[in-house]
Amino acid sequence: MDYYIGLAQIIGIHTLLGLSAYAVLLTGQVSLAQAGFFAIGAYVGGMLTVLAGWHVLSGMIVAGLVAGVVATLVGFPALRVKGLMLVVATTAFGEAVRLFFFNFNYRIRRGDVLIGPSGGEGFRQIRFFQENGWSTIEMALFIWAIVILVLATLWWLDRSRAGTVWRAVGEDELAAQSAGVSITAVKVSAMGLGGVIAGLGGALYAHNTTHIEHAQFGVVLATFAIAYPILGGLTSVLGTLAAVVFIQGFLVEGLRFLGDWRNLLFGALIVLAMNLRPNGLLDASAVAALRRGLSFRRKGAAHARA
Amino acid sequence: MRKTALVLASALAGAVLSVAGAGAQERVVTIPGFGAKSGVLRVFGVNSEAAMKAAAEEINKAGGVTLGDGTKAKLQIEFLDDRCNPEEGISVVRRIASTNAFVAVGPTCSSVAESLFGILQKKVGDATDSGLQFPIISDVAAKGGLARISEWAFRNVPNESDMYKSLLTWIKAKHPELKTVFGGVEKDFAHSNATFGVMKKHASDLGYQLAGEAEWLLADTNFANQVRDMRRVSADIVAISAHPFTTCGVLREMARQKVAPKLMLGLTSSSSLETLQGCAAEAEGIIIPTAFAPVNAEAIKAAGLVAKMGGSADLHSAAAYEIMFILKDVIEAQKVMARADTVVEDRRKMRAGLAALKTTKGLLGPVGRTDEREAIKPFLFVHAKNNAWKVLHDPRS
Repeated sequence: MDYYIGLAQIIGIHTLLGLSAYAVLLTGQVSLAQAGFFAIGAYVGGMLTVLAGWHVLSGMIVAGLVAGVVATLVGFPALRVKGLMLVVATTAFGEAVRLFFFNFNYRIRRGDVLIGPSGGEGFRQIRFFQENGWSTIEMALFIWAIVILVLATLWWLDRSRAGTVWRAVGEDELAAQSAGVSITAVKVSAMGLGGVIAGLGGALYAHNTTHIEHAQFGVVLATFAIAYPILGGLTSVLGTLAAVVFIQGFLVEGLRFLGDWRNLLFGALIVLAMNLRPNGLLDASAVAALRRGLSFRRKGAAHARA
Repeated sequence: MRKTALVLASALAGAVLSVAGAGAQERVVTIPGFGAKSGVLRVFGVNSEAAMKAAAEEINKAGGVTLGDGTKAKLQIEFLDDRCNPEEGISVVRRIASTNAFVAVGPTCSSVAESLFGILQKKVGDATDSGLQFPIISDVAAKGGLARISEWAFRNVPNESDMYKSLLTWIKAKHPELKTVFGGVEKDFAHSNATFGVMKKHASDLGYQLAGEAEWLLADTNFANQVRDMRRVSADIVAISAHPFTTCGVLREMARQKVAPKLMLGLTSSSSLETLQGCAAEAEGIIIPTAFAPVNAEAIKAAGLVAKMGGSADLHSAAAYEIMFILKDVIEAQKVMARADTVVEDRRKMRAGLAALKTTKGLLGPVGRTDEREAIKPFLFVHAKNNAWKVLHDPRS
């Protein structure tokens, strides 16, 4: 059972990573900087619990805020570029963050051991959950409480005026600007919110894996971050969740028994899924079908009660 | 008629019992292994799996392992790929721990071991620590001091600090004319990076002058700039702390730029078949300390068996081979039952048995065990000569 709960933890953390890219993608920006914000969250969160002795919740909130501030700062220069240039610029930022942590040393002595980030060798013993007796299920519930909170926030945002404005900018920036929408405010706020979400995910990742190092936050992670919302579709926040379940649950874990063949199938199945569902696993038609199904059930239940 | 029926019933009952008895005699115990079987480090996982299977076959041929209830069991290996990814490593171990397995062998990468050992309970019996209580013994992850992370973590890997200290001391005595060292490191790989620190420390302690250093990454394929720096300083010794893939890249570039130091040193992990397959000519003369070489009958036999299983025996896979025999001894000494209802107890017994070991049998001779659950393995200095690794010096002699 612990195995499935552990898998649920991984899916939850990757969902946060994917949602961070989803928020940015809604405004039409393709950002590969999410792994960088995720790394900032991981290191800040880990340092606050390990070095400062904070509770994981407060450490995680601060990690999210720090990543959000950095993302907002990145959001301003990012306004000057778009399309492929933005991809290149955000990739460069992500790599800069990774290389920063590659060279980042901040260790303090506790007893006879040095603890804290140690450059290329990474940052070990981020064991808040284990040291405080949290069971695997408690960790999973904590992670999923955060995921649900973020999903609910994005869902609410999507239905608010702000969400409409975000999507308007994502659909046609020029038209939105002509209608009086502030592109700067929209893009920077999306980047900032994406940063906060990535920071929260990063802090949870650090505490889930107990050891972090620069190599974990490279281009591959950035690609996964952007792949989740693209594969899942931008119609609904649940698309990202569906894509994470498909990739982490099915492709990575479900096919492990295939051994070496798994890696070959991995790419092929993603390509197949994108061909079969070009607008995402949960595209507009799938979301509409889901809504119809849910409303049919509700009507059926009401009818039965009557 | 009644008598005939009684005889037939007795014969049937006897047959059923003997089949059941034979079934009880034919128990199978699965020893799970895990490591990198994808990407540039794939060969390490392939070799570990082959070595574990070769050792299991030897143990099974000799009758298998005796369990706590006196029955004999055959060993079988199940090897899972963690892609050298910490999250996947944790997931793989959680999957293994959800079965009746009472021990696991792995992982390949030190970064995976760091994460994995971190989720294990730090101190045995600490009720406040909710870490996983599952013994893991590592064959490859070589970064120093990893077993210290948890009392459920064990390693059968050599102490690289001792190896390089001994090697550099020997070189100092044998070639006193060599004064300067140029270091090259595969900076983004935990093992290479940590070992480079070890090399630098011991070289400095022995009075060598560090003339310069160059860095590259595991996935790099171009080393022109690094080798240009190397050529510029023209050091007596070039020490390369990198795995076979980039070691070969650097050696080939050195040959292209005609950089010929008086002596070359390599990383333990590069004393493998992959280096010879990739760049035997350019590697000619490179000296590496290793905890395995086919220098005695047992080691030669092990190398042959591993090759038969589709792998090659090197210091890492030889450790996996040795681990299987260590596990057999511990299973028997601790009277492990290997039953579904004794899993928790069996895991405790395995941990206690592994922790109690003071010495184990190794392919190059007895292997000491430290209180921090690490191995003190005998080692040799080998050098690449005529497309093979030849023993240059045995520090024990």
